[in-house]
Amino acid sequence: MRRKHMLPMFLLSMGVALLVAATTVGVAASATHKSQGAASKAALKGGVLRVDQSAGQFDTLDPGLAYVTNDWAVLYTTNLNLVNFPNKPGRAGAQLFPEAAKSFPTISKDGKTYTFHLRSGLRFSNGKPITALAYQRAWERILSPKMYAQYGIFDQLNTMVVGAQAFTNGKAQHISGIKAKGLTLTFHLTKPNPTFVSILGMQWFGAVMPSMKYTKNPAGVLVYPSGGPYYIASNSPGRTVVLKRNKYYHGPRFQNPDEIVINSFPNSNGESALLQIEKNQVDFDMAGIPADDAAKVAKTYGVNKPNGQYHVGTESCVIWEAFNNARPPTDNVDVRKALNYAIGREPIIKLLGPNAGGATDQILVPGLPGYKKFSAYGNYPNFAKAKALLSQADVKNPPALNIYYNPASSFRTLEAQFEKAQLAHIGLQATLQQSDPNSYYGPIETKGTTYNIAHSGWCADYFDPFDFINVNFDGRSIQQTGNVDYFYFNNSVFNKAMDHAASLSGQARAKAYAALDQLLMTKYVPAFPLYVPTFRYMTAKRVKNVIYSNYFGYPDLNALSVG
Amino acid sequence: MALLEVNDLQTRFRTDDGIVKAVSGVSFSLEKGETLGVVGESGSGKSVTFLTVMGLVDMRHAQVEGSVRFDGQEILGASSSSLQKIRGSRIGMIFQDPMTSLNPVKRIGWQLEEAVLLHNDVTHAEARRRSVEILQEVEIPRADARIDDYPHQFSGGMRQRVMIAMALINKPEVLIADEPTTALDVTTQAQILRLMRKLQDEHEMAIVMITHDLGVVAELANDVLVMYGGRVVEQAQVDHLFAKPEMPYTWGLLGSLPRLNVTSERLEQIPGQPPSLLHPPKGCSFNPRCAYVFDRCRQELPELAAGAVGDEHRFRCHLPDEERARIWEAKKAALAAEGSAA
Amino acid sequence: MAYFLIRRVFWAIFLFFVATLITYIIFFVIPTDPAQIACGTHCTAGLIAHIRKSLHLDLPIYQQYWLFIWNLLRHQSLGYSFQNGASVRWLIGQDAPVTASLVFGGAIFWLTISIPIGILSALKPRSILDRAAMIFVLVGISAPAVWIGLILIYVIGYKLGWTPLGNYCSIVPSSTAGGCSGPAEWAYHLILPWMTFMFLFAALYVRLIRANVMETMSEDYVRTARAKGASASRVLFQHVLRNSMLPVVTILGMDIGLALGGAVFTETVFQMRGLGSQLVSSALADDLPVVVGIVVFACLAVILFNFFVDVAYAWLDPRIRLST
Repeated sequence: MRRKHMLPMFLLSMGVALLVAATTVGVAASATHKSQGAASKAALKGGVLRVDQSAGQFDTLDPGLAYVTNDWAVLYTTNLNLVNFPNKPGRAGAQLFPEAAKSFPTISKDGKTYTFHLRSGLRFSNGKPITALAYQRAWERILSPKMYAQYGIFDQLNTMVVGAQAFTNGKAQHISGIKAKGLTLTFHLTKPNPTFVSILGMQWFGAVMPSMKYTKNPAGVLVYPSGGPYYIASNSPGRTVVLKRNKYYHGPRFQNPDEIVINSFPNSNGESALLQIEKNQVDFDMAGIPADDAAKVAKTYGVNKPNGQYHVGTESCVIWEAFNNARPPTDNVDVRKALNYAIGREPIIKLLGPNAGGATDQILVPGLPGYKKFSAYGNYPNFAKAKALLSQADVKNPPALNIYYNPASSFRTLEAQFEKAQLAHIGLQATLQQSDPNSYYGPIETKGTTYNIAHSGWCADYFDPFDFINVNFDGRSIQQTGNVDYFYFNNSVFNKAMDHAASLSGQARAKAYAALDQLLMTKYVPAFPLYVPTFRYMTAKRVKNVIYSNYFGYPDLNALSVG
Repeated sequence: MALLEVNDLQTRFRTDDGIVKAVSGVSFSLEKGETLGVVGESGSGKSVTFLTVMGLVDMRHAQVEGSVRFDGQEILGASSSSLQKIRGSRIGMIFQDPMTSLNPVKRIGWQLEEAVLLHNDVTHAEARRRSVEILQEVEIPRADARIDDYPHQFSGGMRQRVMIAMALINKPEVLIADEPTTALDVTTQAQILRLMRKLQDEHEMAIVMITHDLGVVAELANDVLVMYGGRVVEQAQVDHLFAKPEMPYTWGLLGSLPRLNVTSERLEQIPGQPPSLLHPPKGCSFNPRCAYVFDRCRQELPELAAGAVGDEHRFRCHLPDEERARIWEAKKAALAAEGSAA
Repeated sequence: MAYFLIRRVFWAIFLFFVATLITYIIFFVIPTDPAQIACGTHCTAGLIAHIRKSLHLDLPIYQQYWLFIWNLLRHQSLGYSFQNGASVRWLIGQDAPVTASLVFGGAIFWLTISIPIGILSALKPRSILDRAAMIFVLVGISAPAVWIGLILIYVIGYKLGWTPLGNYCSIVPSSTAGGCSGPAEWAYHLILPWMTFMFLFAALYVRLIRANVMETMSEDYVRTARAKGASASRVLFQHVLRNSMLPVVTILGMDIGLALGGAVFTETVFQMRGLGSQLVSSALADDLPVVVGIVVFACLAVILFNFFVDVAYAWLDPRIRLST
């Protein structure tokens, strides 16, 4: 070649050589890192993890129907989501990472189109390949009228994606806004939604076989192939679930036990499981330890000791007393403020024994973007301030407040009685109303309901403040029955503020929601937040690698090691 | 040497209320082929005496003394295994109520074969053959078919025949019959007695006939024991006893016998109750009921002694011989008068 | 005998209908809304209406009951659980082996214990053995099963660590049970439950057998057997036992019915998911189909078992068998 062209050629070849060298070194380095990691990882593998579930059962393990925290804890081990939570403790465990997807999606400029590219070579537990169709099917199962229920509606999924409403109404075969071609998956949203990626981290959206059927059975499909670290090998509703390691999963999450056996005992109070854990006959109880034993267990085993057996983890939930903003006297904001002063958070938490939770008077919980701690009402009763507010409220002859509670729980019964006593201190009458133990929410979710104070709470569906504030306090969602806003709080100014915050992203979004949180609890006060609860649980002596997830409120089952 | 010789047999039972003296010194002897009648009221100790002889009393609660010699061997207090060899093979016993004396859930063939197989080393077929044979001997019709029936399928008389068959199948030398006909009607009773006499003749068997029925005794027995309050109160050959009973109790027994040729308005009863064996009366145990009682009776127990008649006829009574003879003559005359009045 | 059997069968069918009808009525008289319960926590108006229709709750009671019977006879179906949609028939199929293991295993256990003790006590009244047996009887009859179970769990299971603290393992070896299957594990996990369950019944039966044996020993035919020269052991085994056990057979029939109820306590204490604990948790959750299903099954089982016991008794006692 002519001399003029030789320099670029030389540079090119140097560049290529460097690239090759760098890649080789990099691969070698990661290979060593992997093999070191692999060696310690292999040591944790093996054995059968024996899990009990006292005082409860799974209502379903079908990802198209599961909506309760214990169901999701199991689905986390079997689902392969586009984006998922890693097996890491603390804050790191709350950061989604792309698992089935090669990377986070490309988002169009108008914010309405999300494109995912799946990794190649992904397989279900039956060996069949995972394509984009798997995720389209998952979406359709959470919204299909042919399923027992369409829980997608509760998170407004039907209005989120183009064509979802028509599909939900049975007017379309597929959701037109979801395009699945080979390993490429595209979502067309009706409007920009910064929470969309977080939503995809929910356990509704694990990959399922495109042939996985719709069913009207409340338990859904019992056994099906899945793409996560484990798959359901057998499922006897209300009794036993057996998960086995999925040999086709090659992702970074742990696959420690060979097998996970979960036995449910809806009738038990957890005492038996606790004894069995102490005797190494059971490894972990999903119900945690009974509240009455908290003090003794803490004393015997210490709390959160390294390699210890007793653990206390904070859940991403807030426990609150809901106020009925549509019924006197809780329709008066000063009365609601007075109650926030009068009732007293710490005494109620103490009813549950040590380490039961941290008092809060906020709606948002630590870990959520936008959480900024503030204290408005204090943790202990302040009758002076309460009384002052009441006189300011100027409510003549306030009617007796109706405290609604579930008599099946001794704790709730005590709490209701305590509240009644506290109200008496500030001159307010209260009546206690028992709910049907098996149907607590029905009555309060119905418009026109007659409760004033009702114990309730909320746990994160996904890690975005929208899920706490907009979902619960947007009064425009109020309907005849099935209300999520069972506070019947509807304030047009606050609605506008919520809409605005929802449209932001990044830091601006976080700041906006922090402000909304404070505004809500200092100006409008629709509820009485009590505490952020903990999950107190024991593991058997042989259990290692306990990684607690704030999101699920359980230790990651696939990470527990009994090998 | 007598086949069965009993000397001064005493049986006492320990109860929560105290010691019951059921048998207080009974002696007799039984020869081969003879029949001994034993008469007395309920509670006289007649059954207990022979249960003791057989070793069938519950030794946890009983104290037994005296001597029982069978064929020269002392069997009182002998080991259970030696007694088991004798019972059912050399000494047989039948009981009062045939309804309850047979095992209701076993076929009678099984029960008869059991009797055979306990004492004979033979095959089942041979045992069965013998069972059919003995049933025929006791006059059970269609014995070969009925051998497979259950006890409840037989009438009372038939059942008693089966009991007798069971006791006789091993050809015992002694048969102790404890009130065998009391539960049966008069016609059947006659048949059974006739049968027993026939068998006795054929097998040269000694029989002890325990009964409260003097008529039965009259028909079958050679010798008679009259028992009262756990003791023998009169002992004689049967003819002598009926001809001249020597004791007021025996007079009472005889007087209470219905007679065909007498129509009295009421049978003569012996007034009062049998004595308590727990706290027997001092002196003669009959004294509370005796019409002829006097002071000595209440103080001293009369010995079983022979009277004027001879050594064979013994009785317990303090009455002087002349008194006794006079009273009996008077009674006899009265009975004869009744008879002729009818 | 044939007439006896026919009469018993007819009676059994009648009882079955009465029991199921009463259960059905009870559940519809109590003030709960089955549709609301079946709907669950995340309910909508549309879902409730749909459920009400599919469960035929809009029909009058007698029609619902008729549908239930028809379903039962025609499809052998008992409906579906409100809580998790499982077929009730399947649920019972899972629960029944647990309860059967407990009850029948326990029955064998208690008979094995009570028969020898009862007989020995009868043979040696007022001896040390007899007095010890009577103390055992007193404790067994007085102490509640729950208390006994908890004491056994705490002392033998927890402190001494000799047995597992609860749970039930299937007798059939299975690869999906996490090591808790096979005859050895099955029996090992059942030791404490059997001991708890059988305590009461063993006590009752010791007393019963002791009384029966003592009574039989004083029967005339026993005296006859002795008079025939039978040895004490022959008398016992050939003459006394069969006769004194006949009433035990009858009582056993009654007691299996009792036992099914008593199993509830044992199952709950030992975390065994059998018919008893299922019945309790379903009743507490107002899960009507499961409750009715279990009642139906239990009725059938008790009636059937008593029927067999009656037949067995008639067979064993020739006085009944051969009466015309």
